[in-house]
Amino acid sequence: MELAIQTEHLTKIYGGRVIAVNDMTLSVPTGAVYGLLGPNGAGKTTTLRVLLGLQRPSAGFAKVFGNSCGPNATHVRGLIGYLPTHPVLPGHLCPIEYLELLGKLCRIPRQIRKPRLTSLLRAVGLLSATDRRIQTFSTGMRTRLGIAASLLADPPLLIWDEPTAGLDPAARRFALDLIRDLAKSRTVMVATHILSDIDQTCDHVGVMHEGRMIFSGSMHEMKQRLRRDDICLELDGDGEDRRQLAERASQEHGIEIVPHERNTVLVKVAEGRSRAGVIAEVLRLVDESNLTLHGIRSTQNETEFAYLQLLQQDSDHGFRRFDLQSPLQEHAAASDLHV
Amino acid sequence: MISNLPSKSMPLQAIYTYELSGLWKSWLIRAWLIATMLVTFLIVTTNWATTPTAPLVAMLLFPYLVFPWFLVVLLLGLNPVTGSRLEALSDGILSRPVTRLEYLLASWAARVTAALAVLFVVIVPAVLIVSLADRPASADDPVTFYGVVASLAVVAIVITFLVSIGFFAGTAFRSSMFAVAALILIWMPVNLVLHTFSLEEFSPISLNQSLPTLLRTPWHMDETVAAVNLPGSEDMQAAADFFSALTGGSPATVKKDPEFYNQGDYEDFSLVRVVMGYGLPTLAALVCTTFLFYQRDL
Repeated sequence: MELAIQTEHLTKIYGGRVIAVNDMTLSVPTGAVYGLLGPNGAGKTTTLRVLLGLQRPSAGFAKVFGNSCGPNATHVRGLIGYLPTHPVLPGHLCPIEYLELLGKLCRIPRQIRKPRLTSLLRAVGLLSATDRRIQTFSTGMRTRLGIAASLLADPPLLIWDEPTAGLDPAARRFALDLIRDLAKSRTVMVATHILSDIDQTCDHVGVMHEGRMIFSGSMHEMKQRLRRDDICLELDGDGEDRRQLAERASQEHGIEIVPHERNTVLVKVAEGRSRAGVIAEVLRLVDESNLTLHGIRSTQNETEFAYLQLLQQDSDHGFRRFDLQSPLQEHAAASDLHV
Repeated sequence: MISNLPSKSMPLQAIYTYELSGLWKSWLIRAWLIATMLVTFLIVTTNWATTPTAPLVAMLLFPYLVFPWFLVVLLLGLNPVTGSRLEALSDGILSRPVTRLEYLLASWAARVTAALAVLFVVIVPAVLIVSLADRPASADDPVTFYGVVASLAVVAIVITFLVSIGFFAGTAFRSSMFAVAALILIWMPVNLVLHTFSLEEFSPISLNQSLPTLLRTPWHMDETVAAVNLPGSEDMQAAADFFSALTGGSPATVKKDPEFYNQGDYEDFSLVRVVMGYGLPTLAALVCTTFLFYQRDL
C-alpha cells in the first residue's frame, strides 16, 4: 500500500518545555480521506506544520509520498495544498492578486495560472468579490479563498486544518461537500475537533490526545472497536411516565433504562441478550405507556461515543501509556538487520 | 538551463514585487518620503547662499548616515519575520514550494530597493541642483563628478548595511519592539566609539565628516586638484590675505563651513576600505539571518 503520509516516532518539543507531539507514528494511505481528530492542544496543527516543513521535528521523521519533510523540501510542499485554520491573508490584496502571487510561488506558468485561478474563484463562489480587498472579506469568504489557494497547484494531497471553523451552516455544507468531491481524485487530510465533520467525510481516522496518536485506522474499525449495544429512545411525555417506564423495564431481564439527554432515555442491553429482543420488549413497554415515541437510534454508530471513550481509555491507562520498549525494540531490530 | 531561469526565479520575483508593493503602501515609507523631501528642501534653501558645495552635499546626506533617517532604515529592515507578520508569512508564502532563502533574499532586496529609492528620488535631484547651480558659495569649492557618484554609492552601501543589520535583528529577536530597543541600545554607542577612533570604514559619523573630501576627489588625482587637499592650504590662504591687507587690498571672501564637516580632513580616505568595511558586515548579517531563520520554527 502506497502511503501519502508517514511519520515514525515523530516528536516535537517546543523550547525544551512544551511537548506538542509525543512519539507519534502515523500512516495515511494514498487516496484516503483521513480525519485527524483531537481536542484543542492535542498536537494536530503541529503535526501538519511538521509535514509542511514549517517546523522541525525534535525526533523521528515525517514523509509525504516517500519524500522527507523539512524547510528545504520545496518538492514536498509542491505536493501539498494547505489550508490553515482561519487563514491569515494579505488584506491589502484583491483575490486575483493573491492567487496570482501564490501561482507564481508554485511556479505555475502564466498560460495555466490565469485560467485556473479564474475557474477556482468561480468554483468557490468569489467571482462577484474579485474587486474587493481581502481585508473586507468575512470569515467564510476568507476560508473559501483559502480553499481556492490550496487547490491552485492541483496538488495530490490536501491538508486542511479545521476547514469548517467559524463557518455558517451553508459555508460549512459547502466545505464538506467539497471535501467529498475532491477526495475522488486525491488524498485529503482534515484536522478537526468537530466529530460530525469527520463522520460525514472521512473513511480513515486518527485520534490524537496529548500529542500522541491513540488510535489510527478506518472509520469502520474505530466504531467496531468500541461497539456498544445501547439504544437511545426519544420520547415525548412527562417525566413521571418516563420514570414508570424505567421501573417496568428494570423488571425485565437484561434491560436497564436510564435518563440520557432531554426527552431521551438510554436503553442499556446486558451481555447475552439479543438486541432485537430487547428493542421489541422496550417498544412494547412504550406502547403500553402514555409516552409517544419520536425516534429510536443506536449509539453503536456514534463517533462521539467512540471518540470520547478513546480519550477516556487513554487517560485511564495512566502510567501504562509509557511505552519505553517499542522504539528501543525497533532500533535493536534495525541494528540486527545491519549486522 | 537558461530557459528554466524564468520559472526558477518566479517565486523570487513574486515575493520581491509583493514585498515592495506592501512597503510602498506602508505609512513608514510614505511618511519618510514626505519628511525627507521637506528636510532636503529646508537644508538646500537655508544654505543655498552661504555653504560651499561639498559641505552642503554632506549636509544633505547627513540624515541618512547619522540621524534620524538611519533609524527609519533600520526599522525598514526589521519587519519581515517578526510579530504578526510571521503567521501570515508561514501560512501564505512559506507553506508553498518556496525555500526560506528565496524568501529572505527577495524580502531583503525589496527593503534595500525601497530605502535606496527614497534616497535617490529625493537626494539625486537635490545634489545635482546644488552641484550644477551657479551659487555664490560654490565658486571656490568645486565638487567632481566622480566625487558625487562615489559619495552617493558610499551612502547607498551604508544604507544597505543598515537594512541588513535591521534584518538580522528582526530575525534574531522575535519581538519587533525588543529588536528596535536592541538596535538603538547597541548600535548608537558602538557608532560613537567607532567615531572616536575616526574609523570611517565602520562609523557613519566619521564617514559623513569625510564626505566633503571624497566629493572634491577627482577620478585621477592630478597636481591641480591635489593642491585642493594639500595640507596647510589654509595657512597659505591666511598668508595671502595678510599680504593683500598690507598692499591695501581686501582679503578674499572666506566661506564658513559648518564645523562638523571640518573636524578632520580624512586624507587617508579609502573607498575600497569603506566598501569592505560595510560590505563584509552586510554579507555577514545576511548569512547570520539566513542561518537563524533556517533554525526557526514557524
